[in-house]
Amino acid sequence: MVNEEERLRRTMMFVPGNNPAMVKDAGIYGADSIMFDLEDAVSMTEKDAARTLVYEALSTVDYGNAELVVRINGLDTPYYENDIKAMVKAKVDVIRLPKTENANMIKKLEQLVEKAEKEFGVPAGSIHLMAAIESAKGVLNAYEIACASKRMIGLALSAEDYTTDMKTHRYPDGAELEFARNMVLHAARAAGIAAFDTVFTNMDDPEGFYRETKHIHQLGFDGKSLVNPRQIEMVNKVYEPTRKEIENALNVMDAIKEANEKGSGVISMNGQMVDRPVVLRAQRVVQLAKAAHLLNEEGDYIEK
Amino acid sequence: MEIKRTAIAGTLESSDIQIMLSKGTEGIQVTLKSDVEKQFGDQIRKVITSVLKSFNIENAKVTAVDKGALDCVIKARTITASQRALEIADSPEWEVL
Amino acid sequence: MKSLGISDFSEQEVEKIDETIGIYKSSKLLGTGSIAGNVLKYIGVCNEDTVPGSSFNTIVSELINKLAQKGIFHVFVFTKRKYEKSFQYIGFNELAYSKKGAILESGAANIETYLSHVPRVTNQVHKTVAAIVMNANPFTKGHRYLVERAARENDLVYVFVVNNDVSLFSTSERFKLVTRGVADLKNVIVVDGGSYMVSYLTFPSYFLPDKEDKIKYQTTIDARIFRNKIASELNIKKRYIGTEPFSKTTGIYNKVLKDELPPRVTVVEAARQKDDTGSVITATKVRKMIAANNVKAICNFVPQTTYKFIEDNFAELHARIERGININGN
Repeated sequence: MVNEEERLRRTMMFVPGNNPAMVKDAGIYGADSIMFDLEDAVSMTEKDAARTLVYEALSTVDYGNAELVVRINGLDTPYYENDIKAMVKAKVDVIRLPKTENANMIKKLEQLVEKAEKEFGVPAGSIHLMAAIESAKGVLNAYEIACASKRMIGLALSAEDYTTDMKTHRYPDGAELEFARNMVLHAARAAGIAAFDTVFTNMDDPEGFYRETKHIHQLGFDGKSLVNPRQIEMVNKVYEPTRKEIENALNVMDAIKEANEKGSGVISMNGQMVDRPVVLRAQRVVQLAKAAHLLNEEGDYIEK
Repeated sequence: MEIKRTAIAGTLESSDIQIMLSKGTEGIQVTLKSDVEKQFGDQIRKVITSVLKSFNIENAKVTAVDKGALDCVIKARTITASQRALEIADSPEWEVL
Repeated sequence: MKSLGISDFSEQEVEKIDETIGIYKSSKLLGTGSIAGNVLKYIGVCNEDTVPGSSFNTIVSELINKLAQKGIFHVFVFTKRKYEKSFQYIGFNELAYSKKGAILESGAANIETYLSHVPRVTNQVHKTVAAIVMNANPFTKGHRYLVERAARENDLVYVFVVNNDVSLFSTSERFKLVTRGVADLKNVIVVDGGSYMVSYLTFPSYFLPDKEDKIKYQTTIDARIFRNKIASELNIKKRYIGTEPFSKTTGIYNKVLKDELPPRVTVVEAARQKDDTGSVITATKVRKMIAANNVKAICNFVPQTTYKFIEDNFAELHARIERGININGN
């Protein structure tokens, strides 16, 4: 019943790929995932420099437990194939494809990744993929994209290009993104992979940031893409379970333990049978509580 | 390999190093400017020289302005400058990375 | 920019700008800088809410990278002395300074590289060495006289030919004319003046009319580069110049040379040569004669080697004048 612990992906921090100071320090802020950007954050004349810099950093810098993601340049650019080769050789955890519109784009990427794994002696299947959805087409094809490869680990909504494609722009209440958010989220959930919300760039509006983060948390997103390390703590705060949620989850976990010890297949708590969804939710709460340092080594709640 | 043109890589920003590579005739000559020249000058030169060797560059003049770069940054910038100087930036030498 | 004391935005200045960049935070300008040819200009940064120096380094990096994309790897900057350190900190080396400011360079081909390509003779440190810097636009009997005299009075003479292509005779043509014109003088070495002697870079007023204080600043820089970097390295003890009766700019230049070079370098001033009819020989007059189709008169002013070149290339030279090339100035 207890399945393999899923990775927490509350925060995915963008790091411009050609900035050594930021690349070097990316690990110290405690982001769950670090996304090195070779695409929009790098000017055309520095694509080669950023690729090499990120390669060398991935090969030498210790980023702890963070999941390492690289956003490569798009399929229609001359940098695409070299980006793939370099990042596969660097054994990055995840390659993120920008402007994904259909399953074929992921399949093409998968082929090249597979080829590069062979070329550089990287274990087959070890490089994962994720897709950024940045257009109406991408949103409508979100599910086929999510299912396009068994390497897929997530979908990310990218609102800047998407709102332009929709002939609108971003508003404080986010109504313009509601459909896309739900499509991306449903596609990801249906395919059993993670869903990331878009970035929030106005650092002078923490209130707006909290409002948006609470909203996507409520919808069910795994987490959010971030442009500034200061946002990490803010997201984590939103994702932090309450004391009541944690205590309840711990009770569920105790019941599981008890049932296991008894060799019973039925988990019961306070005389009531515990359903599978309740178990799954409890597991996620415990995981989030651990990440928020709200549980001690014995797994008991720590008063803050 | 022979250097085809002068090339530059990196910036003068903190934690970076700017590497300029041009044709030379007397082996590899490195002119280095760094705040940590005393403690790390030899190490920085060593990283630069070993990258050039891996590209089989025998003769080159290197001007480096270091702003506190880690070894991996020095290596990356020297690789980029070399690929640009050899005009192979579009088809990199993967074994050198 | 004005708050940083940069306010000379005369049209002559701004016209030469190739590119300007700026860095912004929100919509506030944090720093800016420009490039004109291989010179960095109008760099200004505001350090209010960043680490001091970081915007400056970002701007200079970006400008250097922009020049590199154009294939320019040898970069100069003129700056106030109080900002000199900031540039030295990022790899620039000072060439010279005066009260008004300093000139610094950075990049692949610096002044050491330039000097290492200047030919030497054995035992040069024990020889008497002289130098002449000339534009030779074109090489005249006056130039020839000056070189002859220097060659007679010294063991070795360097003739530096000004490197710029803004007037009637191109750099390579002028270099050729000087080389041919002094071929019989065995102790004369003709050298390209590069970026360091009366170049368009260090001394733009030589080629474009300008205000007197500006000319003074530029000539002082030029004289100090010559004295501190070039003469010392090549053991040059004398510099020969011709008297200047006509050009205001060259007049100021000669005076500054006499103020700046001694005692390390003696300035020897020779009177201008006159032709058979008693008129003073200048290259400017020769160019005007070409423009006026007055080929016969030229031969009184220039040596046979130059005359032959003008005769052979008369049509081309004339075509250049008709295309509007500047034949006035020096």
